[in-house]
Amino acid sequence: MEKEKNQESFEAFIKSFFYGKRTDLSFKFLSELALEDASTFIQNLFKDIIDSLDDKDLSIVKQRILQGQIEGYKEQKNFEYDDGPFHPFKKPLSSIKLSLLTSSGHFLKGHDPKPLGVENMSQGEAVRRVFDFLKEEPQLSKIPFDSNPKDLMVRHSGYDIRAALKDPNVSFPYQRMVNLKDQGVFAELTSNAYSFVGACSQIRLLKKTLPGWVDKFVDLGVDAVVLVPV
Amino acid sequence: MSVGHVARALEEAKIATIIIAVKAFETRMRMMSLPRVLLTPQLLGRPLGSPFDEKLQIRILNAALQLLEKADRKTIQDYC
Repeated sequence: MEKEKNQESFEAFIKSFFYGKRTDLSFKFLSELALEDASTFIQNLFKDIIDSLDDKDLSIVKQRILQGQIEGYKEQKNFEYDDGPFHPFKKPLSSIKLSLLTSSGHFLKGHDPKPLGVENMSQGEAVRRVFDFLKEEPQLSKIPFDSNPKDLMVRHSGYDIRAALKDPNVSFPYQRMVNLKDQGVFAELTSNAYSFVGACSQIRLLKKTLPGWVDKFVDLGVDAVVLVPV
Repeated sequence: MSVGHVARALEEAKIATIIIAVKAFETRMRMMSLPRVLLTPQLLGRPLGSPFDEKLQIRILNAALQLLEKADRKTIQDYC
């Protein structure tokens, strides 16, 4: 009887990956799947792990997780607009000035944006306080394009930052932009790239923050901005 | 989707934008009626691929810039 009382349901198990006792931001999509689909995903993932070991081909596992993430996010419609602006781009690429803005949460060592008033907040605390982040106005960090990647930090309450910790270019491709400028693909970069934590108050972003950010890019005289959500 | 709002605001100000997003965000991108989006078959948190895969990162960024230059209407395109 006692054993039955302590048993965890499968539903509670998969929901625990979404900011619960098993938080894993790469697998938080499990909570969005129907129970049957989640159980099929896990069963197939186990099978794929064995196949990938036998075949020495990790792409099998990657493909399975990718399909799971696509399935988990396909019904998510946070904001819906019937129409939106499209500014025609008419200049040759080789003549333009570009900048980079990502929602990956990168910042430069010594320039901690101190989210929620906390300096040196750990990634773990950021994840635990995700719902506080969602009430906050986002802060823009500027990062010179010539920064050493060892001087970059990343912290974000909404996604798995492990790859970004190893190489910022997976979500903040600032060095790759320099590579393409040096190859002559486009003419010029702004001095700085920009990043913020995308898990923030959308209302504050829209009403309070964005006008200032737009003015900044207008003042910088950019033709276009590369944007990367995470 | 914060970046979607940024894209819409910049385009209103006559600054063109190109978004590089993982395929899992396709529905969100389509719902926001965004100008130019390149969807990559990569895992969440790694829209430009695995760490230190410099060649792939450059190919994806290059594809995004080509889309920026060529799209004459709202376009959501898969990176292949």
